[in-house]
Amino acid sequence: MAEVLLEAKGVSKHFGGVVAVNNVSVTVEKGSIYAVIGPNGAGKTTFFNTLSGFYIPDGGQVIYRGRDITTMPNWQRIQLGMSRTFQTPSIFPELSVYDNLLIGVQSQKKLAFRLRLPSASRQREIDSKIDELLGFVNLRHLKDRPVAELSHGSQRLCEIAMSLSVDPRLVLLDEPMAGLAEAETERIMNVIRDLHDRLGLTVLFVEHNMRVVLSLAHRIAVLDRGNMLAEGTPSEISSNAAVREAYLGQEVISHV
Amino acid sequence: MSRQTQGYIAAIAAIALLAIFPVKFGSFSLLSLLHLDVSILSEMLLFAIAAMSVNLLLGYTGQMSFGNAAYFGLGAYGAGLSIHYLNVHFIAATLIGTAAAILGALIIGPFLLRRRGIYFSLLTLAFGQVFYFIAYRANQFTGGEDGMSFPRPYVGFAGWHTNLHEATFYYLMLIVFVAVLTAFWLIVRSPFGRTLQAIRQNELRVRYLGLDTNKFIYVALVVSAAMAGLAGALYGLLIMFAAPLMLDWHQSGDFVMIMILGGAGTIWGPVVGSLIYVIGKDIISTLTQTWQIYIGALFVICVLAFPRGLLGTLLHAIARRDVGAPIVEDTMPHTAWETGTPTGAAAVAVEQKEL
Repeated sequence: MAEVLLEAKGVSKHFGGVVAVNNVSVTVEKGSIYAVIGPNGAGKTTFFNTLSGFYIPDGGQVIYRGRDITTMPNWQRIQLGMSRTFQTPSIFPELSVYDNLLIGVQSQKKLAFRLRLPSASRQREIDSKIDELLGFVNLRHLKDRPVAELSHGSQRLCEIAMSLSVDPRLVLLDEPMAGLAEAETERIMNVIRDLHDRLGLTVLFVEHNMRVVLSLAHRIAVLDRGNMLAEGTPSEISSNAAVREAYLGQEVISHV
Repeated sequence: MSRQTQGYIAAIAAIALLAIFPVKFGSFSLLSLLHLDVSILSEMLLFAIAAMSVNLLLGYTGQMSFGNAAYFGLGAYGAGLSIHYLNVHFIAATLIGTAAAILGALIIGPFLLRRRGIYFSLLTLAFGQVFYFIAYRANQFTGGEDGMSFPRPYVGFAGWHTNLHEATFYYLMLIVFVAVLTAFWLIVRSPFGRTLQAIRQNELRVRYLGLDTNKFIYVALVVSAAMAGLAGALYGLLIMFAAPLMLDWHQSGDFVMIMILGGAGTIWGPVVGSLIYVIGKDIISTLTQTWQIYIGALFVICVLAFPRGLLGTLLHAIARRDVGAPIVEDTMPHTAWETGTPTGAAAVAVEQKEL
């Protein structure tokens, strides 16, 4: 069995009396694509947020590379090799695409706290890293544009590139296709495949579109009203009776 | 000529202009033309430094401080008390005042950092008022409400010293001002300064790029306090007086106003703001007792007409021209709205309509 990169053990989170996530466990193997799926209000984003350190869970544990990170501040998790995106792209709107990536590259190279400008050779190193990231998401032509001017899809690509700028092992994507048109969804799907195939990264993403999930993920967890409904490979999930009945509906499955 | 070169030339020209302001050509000088006293120019430079300290926090880091007068006042009292009780020299008094402000920020910083946004502002205001009441109440020590006067010591060192006339004082201030301005410029263009600007735009993202933003804001806070403290100490030495009002939130508000007038987030904005505020105040207050009304009206007009401040609006227009018109990306329609199902805010709007 492959090395386990991220593990959630019985994670729970409630807001007042509302139980958003109830005793959910997942195991993400290194080098895999893992999807968390569920209808609106299933708790998938809340669960995702406990993994990324946005929320501290009320119960359970989050283990990353054998280390308990349940209560670790989010910025420390990034230094351990995790990174994430948000449903609404979280970017620096007034900065250019280049500068957006620069902030991350500076952080990764431990330069962010410096008062001195990087040396010429260091600057070349930074520039080539940024160029590589721009090439990966195909945004070289928009390098000098303020990110606020970009289309929603390009902003999301910029954010994915930012999340790569810190050299992660594990990339967490929160509904990467939210609000995108069909063609742009394709583009993001290809990028997620590239994250895995070309960069060899482990990916965990949250999504509500079953078609996307079945075609991308190696393993899928289905959440419903905060509870884990099913977990398994795409073929197991698409043939799971509980999943069909509880939330998918027959026609979606028969499409695939 | 690149924009950068143009910027350097403009900066040098502005400093040269400040330097020749008080110079007399026969009986004529730019200063006498405006019926201004040279100490007003010193005040203008010191208020510019204090407004720059607010700018580092708000304009660059995105944290609104309504308490920078606390550091300004700590600087003034630090200088005043050390001269009064310890009889120190000019430079020592300045350094003690600055150190007092730095110490203040080091102590209250961890409390301020627990909150963001409006709550951060309220905490800066509340802590500022604590210092105000201490100065106000500690009668025997600080002179209480009446404030304290103290002499301006000689500037110099063993074997050489000189008495500071108003004009020499101004040139000394100009040197300090240029040094602070240069340091400020070096900070904001450094990797550290860029990170601060990223925090202003999206702190959460900076954290999710692996940086402890509290550490960055704390350092910005202390640097800001050092600048305000330096300005306060020198202002105390300029007017040879320290009073609780220098610590008051009114004073903090003036610094915020000066910064906004000129342009938050620009290096020279607070200088332009200070020029207008201090000199405008001086000119208008000789004409009418109700000068505050006119300064207030000027402020309102400036904010409405130049939302980024006078200099900020100009620089933004230039930058806008350099980047070119907003682009239209030749991608597919990017919102789901255009292809059928609304999402995000549009979905909320539709849901509300349907209810």
